[in-house]
Amino acid sequence: MKVFLTVILFSAFLIVQTAQARTVEVEVYGMTCAFCVDSLERKFSNMESISKVDVSLKHKKVRLVTDETMPNIETIKQAVLDAGFTPVKVTVQSNSQSNGQDQ
Amino acid sequence: MAKINNVYAIFYVVCCVFLLWLGMVSSGYSMGLRSFVALPIEKDGAVIRFVYEHVKASDTASENSEHLIANVAYGLSAKQTLLLGLPYRLSPSDSDQQGDLSVLYRDIVWQNDRFSGTDRLGLLAGVITPTESDRDAAVQAGFVFTHFKNRNEIDVDVLYQAGMKERKNSARYDVSWQFRLLPSERADWGLTPELNSVLELSGRWLEGSRWFEGYSTVHQLTVGLQWVHQKWVLEGGIAKDISNGHESRYIMSTRFHF
Repeated sequence: MKVFLTVILFSAFLIVQTAQARTVEVEVYGMTCAFCVDSLERKFSNMESISKVDVSLKHKKVRLVTDETMPNIETIKQAVLDAGFTPVKVTVQSNSQSNGQDQ
Repeated sequence: MAKINNVYAIFYVVCCVFLLWLGMVSSGYSMGLRSFVALPIEKDGAVIRFVYEHVKASDTASENSEHLIANVAYGLSAKQTLLLGLPYRLSPSDSDQQGDLSVLYRDIVWQNDRFSGTDRLGLLAGVITPTESDRDAAVQAGFVFTHFKNRNEIDVDVLYQAGMKERKNSARYDVSWQFRLLPSERADWGLTPELNSVLELSGRWLEGSRWFEGYSTVHQLTVGLQWVHQKWVLEGGIAKDISNGHESRYIMSTRFHF
């Protein structure tokens, strides 16, 4: 019974966490090469609230998976600028919602 | 001799126009084999590069030589970079093996990023610090321009070095074109290793050399390949002296991103 309750509680915790996790897509101009990808991955991986970073040179986008304490838009834009590129558009999407927020 | 120089001058102009045209029509943000100033570095990022060069002598009276060049680039900010370079001659192992330390500061003064690529203009300023007491210092200044579009990158840089005391003035230029051979189409997400071709035209001018001998300015054409990974690059090429048509250089280089 104890084990059962633990599993239930743990699952509930995971569901809550997943519901609060967010995906942020940043359109970035100016990134062109492998080191550019590395630069952006380093910048965002160093942020505590970001759990996953994907970069697309093809689509000129960075996709971030964050927890509930998502960094603010200005922090994200500044990280792109520090990497030497131009942030064009930031789209925030809650994993439990389909609607996005463009900035 | 003058006629030969004219032929080389015409060939040089044709190569420059050809390289620039290639940049206009289509365009990896990396850099060529012979120059280190075009490499973009993020704030607090660093790149270390080691270059090995084997110089095959132009005639039997001259000796082959081997050189090792170490470069470090550090991003002070996204726009400002510190570039260091130190050459060392491995052979022949007589005097003056240690080259002089080059310290350059690069400031990106104009940048135009877009979906298909980027254009960047940077100004360069710095010093050459002698590592031997019998050599003199120099101050250096110049610019670097990068044009990137789709699969092509063109880098152009010019640097003038004004010698102090007994050191002669000198200058150099470098025009490189890199074309991404593989993959032709990038993955939707993530990065696969890439293969670039490199075609590079570079030259050195040294004050006080004898014009009538045709050696005051040396132009070299380099062809090579770059194997690009996310954190490191391995590249190699062959440089041919197109001023006197004899000397050849075999170049191997690797760089790491930190």
